[in-house]
Amino acid sequence: MTEEALQNIYLNNFHKNNNAKFVPFAGYNMPINYKYGIINEHIHVRTHAGLFDVSHMGQILISLTSENILALEFYIPLDIKLLQFNKCHYSFILNSHGGVIDDIMVSKIKIEDEEYIYIVYNASRKKVLNEIFEKILFNYKIIQDRCLVALQGPDSFSVITSILNLSSSMKFLDVEILEYKNTKVFISRSGYTGEDGFEISILNNIAENFVQKIIKNENTILCGLGCRDSLRMEAGLSLYGNELSEEINPIQAGLSWALDKKRLNDKNLNCSHILSKEIDTSQSIKKIGLSPINKSMLRAQMTLHNKNNKEIGKITSGCYSPILKKSIAIGYINKTSDMSEKLYVNIRDKLEEIQIEKIPFVKKNYKKGD
Amino acid sequence: MSEKKYTEEHEWVKLEGDTAIVGITDHAQESLGDIVFVDLPSIGKEVKAKEELCVIESVKAASDIYSPLDGEVLEVNENLSNDASIVNQDAENEGWIFKLKVSDISQVNNLMTLDQYKEFLDK
Repeated sequence: MTEEALQNIYLNNFHKNNNAKFVPFAGYNMPINYKYGIINEHIHVRTHAGLFDVSHMGQILISLTSENILALEFYIPLDIKLLQFNKCHYSFILNSHGGVIDDIMVSKIKIEDEEYIYIVYNASRKKVLNEIFEKILFNYKIIQDRCLVALQGPDSFSVITSILNLSSSMKFLDVEILEYKNTKVFISRSGYTGEDGFEISILNNIAENFVQKIIKNENTILCGLGCRDSLRMEAGLSLYGNELSEEINPIQAGLSWALDKKRLNDKNLNCSHILSKEIDTSQSIKKIGLSPINKSMLRAQMTLHNKNNKEIGKITSGCYSPILKKSIAIGYINKTSDMSEKLYVNIRDKLEEIQIEKIPFVKKNYKKGD
Repeated sequence: MSEKKYTEEHEWVKLEGDTAIVGITDHAQESLGDIVFVDLPSIGKEVKAKEELCVIESVKAASDIYSPLDGEVLEVNENLSNDASIVNQDAENEGWIFKLKVSDISQVNNLMTLDQYKEFLDK
């Protein structure tokens, strides 16, 4: 990067000492993989557990006042007032056209009797969101003194409960605030891989100690952003900047399940008039899963074509799936396209037939309630 | 058998008579990471030196492979169609990618020796 120097996350030296390979990502110098490589890390998360440092992401703690609730509800399609404590929700910050300024995780939490909204947001959207937060909120703190780590994989619960006293009834999207070394740790049973797991917000000065304890467990390895991307693609999860942007609304992105439908009739949601129409009418584009018929690799930005070579869509994310052992991709296609006809992708100026696949590509493995 | 030569595009070339065996260097496979697909060139294809000839896909990205010399593609390493990770395991032997019938052997003098390539990597 020429304009701004890359920032290091707090545990940068720890990652260096663990042989991380680094790449620039959203202005941060981030581990892409460690010594075992992306494919092995990916498979380890699907079979055991992997620990990701995602401290580049934004975290904000907002006092739960009626002014702040009103201000947030102008941008977020959730009924924030009615949200339960200790549950996290996938949602969005929306612009006035219904486009996605960012996708976020929102939860209501209590810390020593004080009530807050806690939001985790994308590193690449920090600048834009922090400006919005500054404009609309009172009594909030953009968190700089905490790391955010994600422990993901079927062994996550046994690994984390060897360190923290989590309740055994904790389910997918539950949140707990726990004590660790006389500090508060925010934990949600969530993640970005399609596996059971936890996202843990922990004070910088004890984060290394905590992370060391986790990776001492023989079932856990450090994992980088490389496999985080292929894991989230197999799970069919959207990535800001790929599937999501200010030009795409959540309904087009196949994420209308994340909208509180009552809020679409609320004038205090800046884009309610657009989304309420959009949800009833057929949208212009729709999200699809894809895979090649031969062994080619599908990548973001490749264009999709019908049999007459007319461009009818685009791939937004593509990767090699270590579980399916072939390339997979997510993209958008014009809603009017005939899905029964053959579909082609332009790979280096050659058209190649591809097939539509169900999303998610790999079954999700969340810890749901009974 | 002649010693290996190297290109600035991180390919190695081994000459056997007027046939050049070409692959990517160990340094290249290391920085590409897990290789999942090699889009092998067509046999009989004629190329010029430094022309893009095929593509190697790692988990991270697609990278072009250039022809190190003028020539015609004689043979490709079909083993890579079944298991592209051979390039990671043994880039400079079993992981060879294609063989060229070289049309101007003197072009080899434009390529680097191992010592020169090492110096190039240190830059």
